Amino acid sequence: MSRLVLKFESAPLKEVPLGTSPVTIGRAPDNDIQIDNLAVSNYHARVYVEAGSLVVEDLNSLNGSFLNDIRVERAMLKDGDAILIGKHEILVDQAHDAAVPLDGLRRAPAPRVAETMILDTQERRKLFEAAAAAGERSQLSPERSRVPTLTVMNGRTDQKEYRIAGKLTVIGHSKMATVRLRGWFTPEVAAQINKHEDGYYLGRGDRVPKINGVSIQGLTKLNDGDVIEVGRVRLTFLFRD
Amino acid sequence: MQIEAGGRTDLGRVRKNNEDCYSIDSSLQLYVLSDGMGGEAHGEVASKLAVQTVLTHCRQAENSRATPIFGESSPEISERTNRLASAIHLANRKVFETAASNPEQRGMGATIVAAWIEGQRLSLAHVGDSRAYLLRAGSMVQLTADHSLVAEKVRVGILTPQEADASEMQSVLTRAVGTNSSVEVDTDEQALLAGDSLLLCSDGLTRMVTDPEIASTLLTSAASQDAAERLVDLAIDNGGVDNVTVIVLRVGEKSVSLFRRLKFWKPRSG
Repeated sequence: MSRLVLKFESAPLKEVPLGTSPVTIGRAPDNDIQIDNLAVSNYHARVYVEAGSLVVEDLNSLNGSFLNDIRVERAMLKDGDAILIGKHEILVDQAHDAAVPLDGLRRAPAPRVAETMILDTQERRKLFEAAAAAGERSQLSPERSRVPTLTVMNGRTDQKEYRIAGKLTVIGHSKMATVRLRGWFTPEVAAQINKHEDGYYLGRGDRVPKINGVSIQGLTKLNDGDVIEVGRVRLTFLFRD
Repeated sequence: MQIEAGGRTDLGRVRKNNEDCYSIDSSLQLYVLSDGMGGEAHGEVASKLAVQTVLTHCRQAENSRATPIFGESSPEISERTNRLASAIHLANRKVFETAASNPEQRGMGATIVAAWIEGQRLSLAHVGDSRAYLLRAGSMVQLTADHSLVAEKVRVGILTPQEADASEMQSVLTRAVGTNSSVEVDTDEQALLAGDSLLLCSDGLTRMVTDPEIASTLLTSAASQDAAERLVDLAIDNGGVDNVTVIVLRVGEKSVSLFRRLKFWKPRSG
């Protein structure tokens, strides 16, 4: 099946099969190929089949669409053509077996029983740098350099404010609790906060905690300013400088 | 906490060698699972060496606090969790050096997922696409993030989970034990509760059995060993294209406080 392959600095980011409906390219999220980069217009270009030929059409974009380095408004495409939009390249790959892996990701043909293999670290780095440069959701959040804290609003705890320094923060009566709840019937582990790569997540313990008044369902990501309620204790989750 | 453990590994229906291996050390409450890679029987060598190294290092550390730490320590995690990561760093070095000195084993490696329980604290460390799941109060969460190409692409938003499931790139790992001179180890900690179930498994399970099927099997099995047997059977019934290995842990009541003991005290019969 024919397809379009979105690449950034020669690293493949996404591939889209070419069917009967047009493939739209642009910055808006409802495009088939979304490129989150300011140099790209919301609805930048589209690729479709007309009278048996594959055609690229620029949708009056600000910065233009380039076919093999020539600015085009509308042009016929052939296998191997490269459409350049901003700094991204879209390769036309016609009538190839879809099971053929992308260039640069695998050097050997796919084995019959998929053997586990390891991606070369350099290739991996290239791929993810490209993804980050493309303005895709980066793993680094601005909150990262700031310290998360819990401030006690009501309830009986051993401190009024806590800095979250570890990967695991237990709220409860347990010896391992960071936020020690007082009182005879408080559970050992009422709730817990886990640090993940992309932020802090609240999970249940022997109690189901609430965030901003709503009981959580499963692990729930904490946002700056969220109010956590565990039993009679209310805490505010805040990032501080 | 009282931990009841069960485990099983199986060749599956397609492979000629079982490159998975696991170990349950109930006295240390240390549980390790590894899935080897590399042609011929070398994956087997890698996974066995990795598991053995982790066990030996952790046992040594239990006996002597002077046991050296491999890799960097993190202040964000407990001493135990740092020790578990250290064990995997050492395993990485051993597998890498073994492969380097035996040309025919070059490129061998392994995934690893290890759980160590001390009191209520669960320490977890992993490399690769072997996973840990926690089932609590009827809902199951995956505690580990796969170090595979498709999973990393999903995390940075360039692939949807559906595209990842359909991808032919599922066997491409981004990290493994023993394929490089050093490795980055992911760690996590959880506070365990009575009634929790923990599952460690190789991708031979998760590619064949869906998460809801896994959760319901864990929920409806009487004992850990029973759950482990049923999970492996499911993977084989669904195709068994890879080796499949699971460790199931059930968390029992912790030794209750004197107050609660008095409150709930009743005479034992038998």
